[in-house]
Amino acid sequence: MTKTFRMDEAQPRLLDETGQGIVGAPLDRPEGPKKVSGRAAYAADGLPENAAHGVLVRATIAQGRVTKIDESSVSDVSGLLGVFHGPKMTRNPAQGMAGEAPVQPGDEVHYHGQPIALVVAESFEAARDAAQRLAVSYDADTDVITDPSRSETHEQDDPETAGDFEAAFAASEVTLDRTYTTPPHAAAAMEPHAAVAEWEGDAVTLRGALQMLRFNKKELADSLGIDPDKVRILSPYIGGGFGSKLGIGPEAVAAALAARELGRPVRVVMTRQTVFDSVLRRTETSQRLRLGADKDGTLRALSHDDRVSNIRDEGFAEPVSQASQFLYGAEGLSFTQTLARICRTPAGSVRAPGEAVGMLALEQAMDELAEELGMCPVELRLKNLPDKNPMTDQPFSATRLADCLREGAEQFGWGERKPMGERREGDWYVGMGMASAARSNMLIKSAARVRLTGDGAVVETDMTDIGTGSYAILGQITAEMLGLPIAQVEVRLGDTSFPGASGSGGSFGASSAGSATFLAAKAIRETLAERMGCSLSELTLQNGIARGGNREVPLSQLVDGELVEEASVESGSTADSHFSAGFGAHFAEVAVHAYTGEVRVRRMLGVMAMGRILNEKTARSQALGGMIWGIGSALTEKLTHDPRTGHLATRDLANYHVPAHADVPGDLKVVFLEERDDMANPIQTKGIGELGISGAGAAILNAVRNACGARVYDMPATPDRVITAMDAAGF
Amino acid sequence: MPLHRPESLSAALELLQGGRAVALAGGTDLYPALRDGTPPPEMVDLTRVDGLRGISRSETGWRIGGATTWTQVLKADLPPLFNGLKAAAREVGSVQIQNTGTVAGNLCNASPAADGVPALLALDAEVELAAPSGTRRMPLGDFITGPRATHLAPGEILTALLIPEADGRGAFFKLGARRYLVISIAMVSAVVETEGDAIKSARLAVGACSPVARRLPALEAALAGKTISQAGQAALTYDYPELSPIDDVRAGAGYRREAVATLVARAIGQAALTDKEVPHVA
Repeated sequence: MTKTFRMDEAQPRLLDETGQGIVGAPLDRPEGPKKVSGRAAYAADGLPENAAHGVLVRATIAQGRVTKIDESSVSDVSGLLGVFHGPKMTRNPAQGMAGEAPVQPGDEVHYHGQPIALVVAESFEAARDAAQRLAVSYDADTDVITDPSRSETHEQDDPETAGDFEAAFAASEVTLDRTYTTPPHAAAAMEPHAAVAEWEGDAVTLRGALQMLRFNKKELADSLGIDPDKVRILSPYIGGGFGSKLGIGPEAVAAALAARELGRPVRVVMTRQTVFDSVLRRTETSQRLRLGADKDGTLRALSHDDRVSNIRDEGFAEPVSQASQFLYGAEGLSFTQTLARICRTPAGSVRAPGEAVGMLALEQAMDELAEELGMCPVELRLKNLPDKNPMTDQPFSATRLADCLREGAEQFGWGERKPMGERREGDWYVGMGMASAARSNMLIKSAARVRLTGDGAVVETDMTDIGTGSYAILGQITAEMLGLPIAQVEVRLGDTSFPGASGSGGSFGASSAGSATFLAAKAIRETLAERMGCSLSELTLQNGIARGGNREVPLSQLVDGELVEEASVESGSTADSHFSAGFGAHFAEVAVHAYTGEVRVRRMLGVMAMGRILNEKTARSQALGGMIWGIGSALTEKLTHDPRTGHLATRDLANYHVPAHADVPGDLKVVFLEERDDMANPIQTKGIGELGISGAGAAILNAVRNACGARVYDMPATPDRVITAMDAAGF
Repeated sequence: MPLHRPESLSAALELLQGGRAVALAGGTDLYPALRDGTPPPEMVDLTRVDGLRGISRSETGWRIGGATTWTQVLKADLPPLFNGLKAAAREVGSVQIQNTGTVAGNLCNASPAADGVPALLALDAEVELAAPSGTRRMPLGDFITGPRATHLAPGEILTALLIPEADGRGAFFKLGARRYLVISIAMVSAVVETEGDAIKSARLAVGACSPVARRLPALEAALAGKTISQAGQAALTYDYPELSPIDDVRAGAGYRREAVATLVARAIGQAALTDKEVPHVA
């Protein structure tokens, strides 16, 4: 019987007492050598014998109905095994943590690029050929709305408020009212979505590229109409997710349907273009920020209203104002969201949904307010830090935002910042900018099993490692708790036959799966203490030796065979009594070309307090990656849709510009401030992955403003937009 | 789908007759296009054809084999005349693309944003086209007729680029929406010969601002005899009637016009320098 621990009160900081020095250390990823030498088998690798190849056929109309799929049009393709379509085909990937089938639209088409059939053949080439030539007839709707600003179907939520915003705004001595827009973004994970499905009797095994297996198992079962117990998913290695692999995707459902029909394994690998077209994107946003303050910089009113979009029947709406609701306090707060229904690739969670785009607007508005007030942007923020969540009145569980701001300003040399436009080097204007970082933190139900043999331990959970370092940190927690060398701990992930974890998403994976692993190891410690005949507090485990009660016994003597414990953790009353979030401060220095508007990021610093750091190296990589996404969201990334059909025009990595190496400064630095979040979970951690992006782009854009006067309201700040904004500012 | 790998030009030409087979070199355009359409019935790999790869010099000028890769261009021992072409070679896609993509492929693909074209135009390059009936030569500026369109006849092979010997130094600038690995918003190549402080001759070409990359003959003529700074000023005030930039996902037409003037001035300045390269990155 698995013990479920509820996080109802602060827990002792056991990981500070175990004394191994393993947790927190910047250890290499244990699976790293496999990944860089091509031996780590990703979803599409290791093709089963007799596997057939499937290629998705996708709709070429924006909205309407498929009236005929003419299989005879490809009957001449040699090696063709079948064309699969029908009521179980899924429209798009499930939203994160859905746990049920995504929309199965039958013969309806809801967006250009929607998978409508799977062609399966003996070879990939034959399947691709047939997929390209398959004759599909449509009954296409006219007057399809693809532009959110033209959508007639707007769903507006009641404002979320605290105090009286309108009154406070009216009473403010200085006010600001600005609208910023951000374009749609793609997750742009390097590994394309892929699935290999194989049936044995009435049970299916799916090798997939998925982030949240506990949920994905239910989603696949529901899509196929079978019992979840008949589904096993393997996803031991994932080449990046960034939200795009949260839910079961059309490639997996189609592969399973075809494999069942054909009685042989089927592999489906999306092309890069299919990934862009048919995997959930981040919505575009239009954001109105209204700030009111007194002349001394005290915020009195803050409103952040946004318009986002999604396709019909999709519940997700980007939580744009998430951080705006707790980062700064004010007398009057108001947040209203409008969701426009349009025919475009459906929207879902992409890299820090909410903060990634919401903080671009909020933190630029704060910079503009500082300028209006004639105040240092760092000081303005310091002046407005609340000690409670201003919307809920929950005290923060742990916040070092003020320290991050001060430490960052000091380390970055913020004092050297010149007034706008006053630093020039040849043809380049140079400037500095900063922004706060914030990302809410969560604990999600998660289970893990730890097996202690005499000289080593094994961790088993269906947690995934999407490049984040799960293998490393779960091994470190176990080694730390059981007094084993790190090399003696094996971590097995990505298999639904293991205890179900939170999965990777929302930056909660390390905290949630890490806590479950910690608790399982803790239960083993309790048994060991019993066997040693000492109290738990007396027990010391180090280098495979147990000490306690004046005895010293090798673990191999204490454990006969295996000692196995499984533990489960879920959030409890601390999630109500306290508000937990990661905080930080971003600083950036940029150069802007006076005549072309090209922006070069010269250096960046992120100072972050994100609870206990489990592995200083993988945590740093996460933060750096987030900051690089910050560069992308500020300067380069933009999905462009064809206004006629909603079809993506920028649907490959040549046209969707994630930052290239040359866009990323060599001087990209992360500093972690020591912190423990006692209310968050039993290991005192916070989410890491997404804090790095939250606010980073705004720091860059604020630096652009300081450099050359350009304030770009429509992101990203591409050279043409920067030049236009420089002209507008008189530079 | 048969893939032929001939080793002689005559064998390659024979395989390409009849219109069934398509020519393949680096494959950096052809292979990605396979996903978007029905594959060709046959392909003829030209990279093993004798004499099609490499750079050589004769009394009258230079010959760049059509199947020469961009990395080979970059690494070749060439005079400063080719500085622009080398800079362009460094900007064709990524290093992996440069390792396999060829000069002829870049020209025959005829993208308005082909990175190799402006530098070769500024070098007065001619293309050499081989057919079973013999070879013909044509100025590069005539060869490319529009987006994805050239005078390459069915069954013909672009065997070489022929570049006349000249004094002067080259330069190339590419402007994109990110720093590298990007399809150009605009690009400019210059070849400038100086005499003392004055420009003796200037050859200028602009890409990604018209259906086909264009030379700027009127501006070139106006620069003769000017100092470098006068030439830069002339570039900034010139109205570029040769160009017809459009709005697209990468940038607006107005921005392109403005940026081109800056890039031309910069390219003239850089080409005229005899020292090490002007740093382009802030």
